[in-house]
Amino acid sequence: MFRGKREPLCRKVRDMLSEYIDNRLVSEKRSLVERHVETCEDCSKELESLRMTVQLLHRVPEVAVPRSFMVPLPKHRRERAFGQASMRWLRPATAVVAIALVALLMGDFLHAFENNAGVNRGTDHETLSGSQSVLSPTDIEKLTMVSVPGVLGQMSLATAKAVGYTDYTIVSSFVISQPLTPPNLGVAGGEGPAGPDGTDGSATAVPGVNWPLRQTEIGLGAAVFVLLALIIYARRQIRKKVRAK
Amino acid sequence: MDEHDLISRSKSGDVEAFNLLVEQYQRLVYNLALRMLGSAEAAEDASQDTFLSVYRAIGGFRGGSFKSWVLRIAANSCHDKLRVARRYRVVSLDTLMLDPDDLPESNNNESPEDYALRRELGRFLSEGLKHLPEDQRLVVVLSDVQGLSYEEVAQVAGCSLGTVKSRLNRGRTRLRDFLLQREELLPPKFRLNK
Repeated sequence: MFRGKREPLCRKVRDMLSEYIDNRLVSEKRSLVERHVETCEDCSKELESLRMTVQLLHRVPEVAVPRSFMVPLPKHRRERAFGQASMRWLRPATAVVAIALVALLMGDFLHAFENNAGVNRGTDHETLSGSQSVLSPTDIEKLTMVSVPGVLGQMSLATAKAVGYTDYTIVSSFVISQPLTPPNLGVAGGEGPAGPDGTDGSATAVPGVNWPLRQTEIGLGAAVFVLLALIIYARRQIRKKVRAK
Repeated sequence: MDEHDLISRSKSGDVEAFNLLVEQYQRLVYNLALRMLGSAEAAEDASQDTFLSVYRAIGGFRGGSFKSWVLRIAANSCHDKLRVARRYRVVSLDTLMLDPDDLPESNNNESPEDYALRRELGRFLSEGLKHLPEDQRLVVVLSDVQGLSYEEVAQVAGCSLGTVKSRLNRGRTRLRDFLLQREELLPPKFRLNK
């Protein structure tokens, strides 16, 4: 294409055509090219085809980027930028409360709070306290075990009374926070606070420390739940802000 | 905030400022990589490599044209990809045809026919660019597709102004010959010999 034997001037002009198209030639060289292409048909065609090629290249469409090439923010910078202040206390606080809850639950399971177990456990305590109203004296007598001299084994206080035994010893009874009213407790023959064998009804009631173990566990559990919810909320806020950026 | 401020902040490690620069130049870099490599996937990789290199090296940017500096890194990234492709023949240079997904969306003022013609032209010219030697292709793309001045092209290509002129002249002539040889494949509207 446009090849063959060329005049030296043609070769010189063709080397300048690209710059001529881009208007980069000094006026002297520009005039030389213009004069030559007016008289040389081959060089004139060469110029036009090159000019057309350049115009086509200018029309090459620009392509949209398929994705962003942004550099990701380092993790520590993201945290510093969004909500690190809240995260700074939320995480340790949650850890402390969770550890306290686990320790309490483990101690509870291992009966480390044995003395309190019957006394202060929320529901048990209520049941037993309420036993004065829920359990009748007869029920209590049925649940209280006694031993009678000369009789093998144990029997309930109700049975002993029904049979007519008056000389018996209480073997096991409820552990209650507050001693029931002596007549209701019905120890030692059910005659009064002290039976004939000297058994004292109040002796069966273990005096408890008023520490609401169950309530503490529930409270700590709720605190852990609330703190975790706050952490999740804070993280969501962070993600939203990062996306918005 | 102007480019100078963004560069200063990026130098002191401000990633958000740097990403504003990325937003500004990613289209230019991606299009250069696409024309140089001819594959959308390779162009994506090269673009990502480019911006990571720019991020690492921005502390050493001594001023001048930031655009030329970024494009030079992009051109080097493309050279690396082409060298690896030649050595391992992992990517065939025959993939220089534009992927259909790469084609730009039609603008509102363009008729469906013109849009189709432009797509066809883009595909044909990409095929033509493939036939140019790498150094000529870079100069032709920078000058005629991306519209950089000779001086900017010289900075990006890392050569003298005289070399740019000579590569451009040879590149255009070679591309013109390619188009003339396959003129029947070119849409009539764009044929060189009408």
